Amino acid sequence: MLSYIVRRILATLPVMAIVALFVFSLLYIAPGDPAAVIAGDNASPADVERIRQSLGLDRPFLVQFGTWLWRILHFDLGTSIFTNLPVGAMIAQRIEPTLSLMAITLVLTILVAVPLGVVAAWKAGSLLDRTIMAFAVFGFSLPVFVVGYVLAYVFALELEWLPVQGYTPLANGFWPWLENLILPAVALGFVYIALIARITRAAMLEVLQQDYIRTARAKGLGQRTILFIHALKNAAVPIVTVIGLGIALLIGGAVVTESVFAIPGLGRLTIDAILRRDYPVIQGIVLLFSFVYVLVNLLVDLTYTLVDPRIRY
Amino acid sequence: MTVSATSTASLPPGLVVAPQLPDLLLPVKVRRGVLGFLRSHPTVAFGGALLLCLVLVGIFAPFLGTVDPTALAPAKRTRAPSADFWFGSDLLGRDIYSRVLYGARISLSVGLSVALLASLAGLAIGLIAGFVRWADSILMRVMDGLMSIPPILLAIALMALTRGSVGNVILAITIAEIPRVSRLVRGVVLSLREQPYVDAAIASGTRTPMIILRHILPNTLAPMLVQATYICASAMIVESILSFIGAGTPPTIPSWGNIMAEGRALWQVKPYIVFFPAAFLSVTVLAVNLLGDGLRDALDPRMAKNL
Repeated sequence: MLSYIVRRILATLPVMAIVALFVFSLLYIAPGDPAAVIAGDNASPADVERIRQSLGLDRPFLVQFGTWLWRILHFDLGTSIFTNLPVGAMIAQRIEPTLSLMAITLVLTILVAVPLGVVAAWKAGSLLDRTIMAFAVFGFSLPVFVVGYVLAYVFALELEWLPVQGYTPLANGFWPWLENLILPAVALGFVYIALIARITRAAMLEVLQQDYIRTARAKGLGQRTILFIHALKNAAVPIVTVIGLGIALLIGGAVVTESVFAIPGLGRLTIDAILRRDYPVIQGIVLLFSFVYVLVNLLVDLTYTLVDPRIRY
Repeated sequence: MTVSATSTASLPPGLVVAPQLPDLLLPVKVRRGVLGFLRSHPTVAFGGALLLCLVLVGIFAPFLGTVDPTALAPAKRTRAPSADFWFGSDLLGRDIYSRVLYGARISLSVGLSVALLASLAGLAIGLIAGFVRWADSILMRVMDGLMSIPPILLAIALMALTRGSVGNVILAITIAEIPRVSRLVRGVVLSLREQPYVDAAIASGTRTPMIILRHILPNTLAPMLVQATYICASAMIVESILSFIGAGTPPTIPSWGNIMAEGRALWQVKPYIVFFPAAFLSVTVLAVNLLGDGLRDALDPRMAKNL
C-alpha cells in the first residue's frame, strides 16, 4: 500500500512538471516586456536593459525556467505587474470565498446527485427515472451564469428569500456566510449534479444486475439496505472518480459564478488579472488550481482502497 | 410463421440447401434511409431539427427583420421589449433582437469549428499514440498535463496571451479540448488493435497505413462523432463564458456572451438584456446535447446501455 502511494505520487510529478512548463511558457511568450513595464515610461533603454539583466530575463529559456521553478517550489509565485504585491499574498486574500463556494457546492452536489442517481437506477425506465435524466440533460445545457441569473432573479429579487449578491466571511457568523452562498452554490452545482447523477445511475444499474443483489433480495433485506449498503458501496469507485474529475467543472464554473454574484474570490481576481493582462497573477492562479485538481484526483485514487476493500495495491 | 420455399433449381447436383427454419422472432420493422433513421431515433430528429432552425436563423439573420446589430441609438437606450425593439434595446440603444440573431453566427461557428478542429487534431494524436509505441508515453504525459489544467482556465490563460478575436477563441478552446479527444481515440485504437481481423490483416501483409485507413479509422468514427457533438456544446458554453468575463470575442462583435456581459451591470432593473441571449444560448446547447445523446444511443449501443 505504501509503495503504491509513493509510486502514485511519483507518477503525478511528470504531470505537474508539464503543467509548470506550460504555465511558465505562458509568461515567457506573453506579449509586452516586463522589464519595460517595471522601468516605467521615462526610462532610458539602458535602464530597461539593466532591469532586464537584474531580473535574469536575458538568460536562456531553460535557465529562466529553472530559476522560476525553484522559486515556485519555495512558494514564491512572483509579483503582480499591476499592484506590485506578491501574487501569493493576493491569492491568499481571495481564497476564502472561493474555497467556501466550492466546498458548499461539493457537499450540496453529493447530497443531491447521489440519491437522485440511486433512485433513477432503482426505478429505471419509469417516469421518475426519465424525469431525472431529462433534468440531467438540462443541467448539462444550461450555462452556469444563466442558472445563476435565473436563481438570483426568482429567489433574491422576486421572492426576496436570499441576498442577491455579495459575500460575508465565515468569521462574521455561519448563517450570514451560508446565506450568501446558497444561490451561487446551487447555480455552480447544477452541471455537477447532472454529471454525478448520471454516473451514479450508470454505476448502480451495473451493480444491481449482480447475483449478490439477487441474493440480498432473496433473503428478504429491505429495499433501502440493498440500495445503499449493498449496491451503492459497490458502485462507489466510478462515482468517486467522476466526483474528482468534476472538480474541473467546479473550478471553471467558480470564476463565472463569482462574477454573477459579485463574490470577491479568486474568480474575480482572475477576471481582473485578464483585463489588466497581469500575467504573473494569471500564472499563479492557473498553477494553484491545476495543483489542487491533480491533488484531489490523487486523493481520489488513494481512497479507492477505503471504498472498495477488493482493490489492493 | 412462414416457411419459405426452397429452390434447388440453380444448385449443382449433389448439394442440398438446408431448409429454412421458421421465423420465430417477431418481424422488426427495419427503417431505412435518413428519414427512417430519424423516425427510430426521435432525440436525434428533435435535436437536429432545433439545431437546423438555429443555423438557419444565423445564416438568414439579415432577412429576419433585423437592423444593423452595431447601430447605436443613444436616444433609445434600454427600452423594454416592444413592437420597435422586439427584445428591447441595450445601454447604447442597439437592438437586442438583431444582436441576438447575429450572435447565433458566432456561437454556432465557434462550436462547429472547435468540434471539427479538435476532432481532427485529437484523431491524429490518438492514432499516433495508439500505433507508435515510443510516442505513446510522451504524447499521453503531455495530454495528462494539459488535462490537469481545468479547460476553462486553460482557455482563459491562452486568451490572455492574444488579442480577442473569433479565430483566437476557436484556437484556445480547441487546444483545451484536444486532450480528451486524443485519449478517446487512443483507447479505441488500442482495443481495436487486439481484434482478430487486425491480426489477420497484419498476417496477410497489409501495411500499417492501410490498416489504419481500412480497419481502424472507420471504427473510430462513431465514437468520434458523438464526442464531437459534446465538444461543440461545451465549446459554445466556454465561448460565452470567455466573452462574458471579457476574455473572449472583442466587444464590437455581438456574441451572446458579450451581450450578457454588457447587460450584467443592469440586470436587476433590465433583466431582458441578459435574458434573451441566455435563452438562445441554452436552447442551442440543449439542441446539440440532445443530438449528441441521440447519436450516442444510435451509434454506440454499448455505451448507451447504461447512461
